[in-house]
Amino acid sequence: MRVKQILILAPTLVSLFLLQSYFWVPTFEEQVKGDPGRLTRYIQTSIGDASILNPTLAADSASSDINSLVFEGLIDRNRDLAFRGRLAESWEIFEEAYMVVDETQELSDGTPVTGDTLLRHLERAQAARDPALRLVQKIELLPGQSKIEQIEVAIPRQESGKPKKRMVEVTVHLPPRLKFTLSEVDQDFFVKLNSLLRGYGDRIDPSRFIEGAEPVITRERAAALVPPTEHNPIVLFRLRKGVLFQDGHEFDSGDVKFTYQAIMAPENLSPRVPDFEPVKAVEPLGRYTVKIIYKRLFEPGFGSWGMGILPEHLLNRERLKAEAIRLGRDPKTYSIRDSAFNRAPIGTGPFRFAEWKTDQFIRLRRFRDYWEGSPNLREYLYRIIPDMLTAELTFYAGTSDAYGAQPHQVERLKHDPRFQNFSRLGLGYTYIGYNMRRPIFQDVRVRKALGMAINVQEIIDYVLYGQAERTTGPYPKQTEFYNPAVKPLPYDPEGALRLLAEAGWTRNAEGWLEKDGKPLAFTLLTNLGNEVRKAVMVVAQNAWRRLGIKVETLIMEWAVFINERVDKGDFDALILGWSMGLDADLYQIFHSSQMGHFQLNFVGYSNPEADALMIRIRQEYNRARQVEMARRLHQIVAQDQPYTFLFVGKGLTLLDRKLVRMIRDPDGTPQYLPIVADKLGRINFHFNQWVKTSEPVLAAY
Amino acid sequence: MLSALLRIGWKKLWTLFFVSVISFAVIHLAPGQPSQIDPLNPRFTPEQLERYRKAFDLDLPYHVQYVRFYRKLFTGELRAFKDSQPVLPKIVERFWNSFPLFLVGTVLIWCYAFPLGIASAIRRNSLFDKVTTVIVFALISVPGFYLAYLLIIFVVQTFHVDVIGLRTFGREGVAAPLRLMDRTWHLVLPSVLGATAGIAVLSRYVRSQMLEVINSDYVRTARAKGLGEDTVLYKHALRNALLPFVTMLGLLVPALIGGSVIIETIFAWPGIGRLGYEAVLSRDYPIVISLNFIAAVLTLLGTLLSDVLYMVADPRIRLEAE
Repeated sequence: MRVKQILILAPTLVSLFLLQSYFWVPTFEEQVKGDPGRLTRYIQTSIGDASILNPTLAADSASSDINSLVFEGLIDRNRDLAFRGRLAESWEIFEEAYMVVDETQELSDGTPVTGDTLLRHLERAQAARDPALRLVQKIELLPGQSKIEQIEVAIPRQESGKPKKRMVEVTVHLPPRLKFTLSEVDQDFFVKLNSLLRGYGDRIDPSRFIEGAEPVITRERAAALVPPTEHNPIVLFRLRKGVLFQDGHEFDSGDVKFTYQAIMAPENLSPRVPDFEPVKAVEPLGRYTVKIIYKRLFEPGFGSWGMGILPEHLLNRERLKAEAIRLGRDPKTYSIRDSAFNRAPIGTGPFRFAEWKTDQFIRLRRFRDYWEGSPNLREYLYRIIPDMLTAELTFYAGTSDAYGAQPHQVERLKHDPRFQNFSRLGLGYTYIGYNMRRPIFQDVRVRKALGMAINVQEIIDYVLYGQAERTTGPYPKQTEFYNPAVKPLPYDPEGALRLLAEAGWTRNAEGWLEKDGKPLAFTLLTNLGNEVRKAVMVVAQNAWRRLGIKVETLIMEWAVFINERVDKGDFDALILGWSMGLDADLYQIFHSSQMGHFQLNFVGYSNPEADALMIRIRQEYNRARQVEMARRLHQIVAQDQPYTFLFVGKGLTLLDRKLVRMIRDPDGTPQYLPIVADKLGRINFHFNQWVKTSEPVLAAY
Repeated sequence: MLSALLRIGWKKLWTLFFVSVISFAVIHLAPGQPSQIDPLNPRFTPEQLERYRKAFDLDLPYHVQYVRFYRKLFTGELRAFKDSQPVLPKIVERFWNSFPLFLVGTVLIWCYAFPLGIASAIRRNSLFDKVTTVIVFALISVPGFYLAYLLIIFVVQTFHVDVIGLRTFGREGVAAPLRLMDRTWHLVLPSVLGATAGIAVLSRYVRSQMLEVINSDYVRTARAKGLGEDTVLYKHALRNALLPFVTMLGLLVPALIGGSVIIETIFAWPGIGRLGYEAVLSRDYPIVISLNFIAAVLTLLGTLLSDVLYMVADPRIRLEAE
């Protein structure tokens, strides 16, 4: 019967055809051993693909992984996290400061202020070695000028309370100014100068210099147009000579300026704009020097020059225009964001781009003309494997060299002699934040008691398998800003009860804590999808209920959690984490001005001393002084406990033991060195020296 | 016939219009924003967020956004938020990646489900029937990802071969037949896994259809005529039992663009399911809505196709108009 035969034959044939293909496929052993190229090819697996290979536009970690190999910034950080030069050979930081000449005032000896009298007065003081002018190297008088500007003003209306916005034209008479060149940045320069000039600076009224149709300009607006005094920190980078882009074009100061302009151009929608917004201008001084002028004191801005530098010759106006015309797109709206460059980038880094198959792999090849010498590995492959378990399988089988291992996976492979591992401490911490707009959390004793009730060590041991460390404050533990003198809150439920009793919360007949007949009750929130936070939530709820606090818990989808609760300040307590940078700036998270809509001080923390410190820290260019202030800030925040600071995650990186560093002696003999991690636990610091040997060459270390 | 088809087509166009409105509305009503304008990115000032909203047309009223969106979709100007790449070529590329999976999976389902279902119907209540029933229900209930892990670990540890991705990684420059076989091998596990649930479900349908037909009068008549058992079963019974499955062919069409998120994720398969899933997570509206819309078009085409096939296969069924 034909039908019957078909019914039996069809599945058999299909299965046979599919299964026979097995005999054509190489086994892992054949792949690893039979392929000599495998030793010079490094394969990293990642759970996500890159999105845009342009350092000025990328915001995801996969893109950064690739961009950091293809591109290079002016500076980066060395193994101890201090800055070191890359495309810049060296740099100096100093200051140019400006002060307005206010001719309505008089000097202390009664002479009316003019540019000349003020200048002479200060020169005399400088000759007399007045301490206020100690850092001043040069004072110049700049002439005034007038210009017409369009500004937007809000005009209040009587009928409805809502002010109307309107553009008005004003004439700005920029008065003559004195320019001071200081040998280093000094945030107190004008304070000192002001006391030398007996309050001259305070008496300057900037609205005098604005002339407009409508007298609705506030003093602040006027001060923004004509600042009475102005700090302009300057960074002077001296660039490395002879550095080549991967297409052979030489890198120079024009590329630095171009990269800055590419970030700031509105049509490119760069996510890096906030990092470069404090920059006033980037001025090339010849091919190999570039002067960065900042609008205001902002020390954390310096680190942004680690940004990869784009090649101007490939992305300038003409090139983009030609590209747009070739593709039949409108040249007027065609921006760097649209350019094919973002899928085939060219930079000055040690690896050049070769191939990208979306969601499969990205292939890079070494750049032989890299200024620091060619990398040892010929090829870098970034393979996308979205599933953690299959990623581990490929690692185990030897077809990948590194993957983002989870703690439980590390446990499995840690003792395997084929692998080496590196411990790293994270930059982020997990905390419980209390909404201090809520009356119950306004008392620091309550916040402290809640923290003391939680056994953090238990969380670390049992929730995180020991892969975490306690933290006591807002700074990463690897930085100098972290204050080691601050002791963590003790685990002490009894002490917590005593503190709560001091704050007026006592147990009622049923055992619940209450004050004036009201129970101590609140809701603890966190977001969906983070198992660790969920577990911390259960531990905290349990600990607090044992004290007699009625705690409800709620887990919400991220978008709803952020938009409906966190942003609107509609929560009691929440579990979240911050991922920190390496700078000392905490302004956005803890400054009392940052409590508004979509701002990050959503717990409503406010402490005048901390506020002042946060501002001084971000304006301080002297490392020692900055560290001292940051440590004091850490101490204050720890005392106030706006958060219960819980822990910093730890991790282990696994690597094939056959990967080592190889450098050559002057006579050319290779020397093998172990791979070492930097302070952050990053292992790829010496990546260019890595080689893979066919057998392990170094004893276990 | 033609006028009937035209009328059906007109109705489907209306349906398509409503689907386009709904799929547009659903994504905009869902909580959350494209990750590019996630307000929790602390570095953004409101002005910069506004600039993004403007670039993505999100500052316009919804009806204007709707019109612009579909105009861009049809003119091929639509670009993904994530990387500013045109959406349609992206979808097409992913479609061709997922297509072999779909094809082999479907072939496996149909090749296995029919013999299995018919065999258990003929041997109803026999040991074979009971064993297949248990296995089939087990396959329906076991989560796909679990089965996938078990299979992967088994194959990798026993046979030491690569099973992840479209092809063996890092194996370039080999002869074409080798490449073809390599790709075939990489299809085996994911398509078998994708097919298991399908085989299980479809074979149950086949079994019950077959049972129904076997007990009908004309089968008894055929037997009474003295025809051989094989002729009765495979000529008289099977033909009639197959009728409802003709419609299923039409329903396969929308599955073309579905893809399987779980299988594709586990096997690192750069398919269309993953594209859609990742787009939903990052609220990449252009991709999500386009996929939705294309799926709707394919579904409508699929139902149209089943109607037509049914008419061709079964002369008893005619359109009302005739």
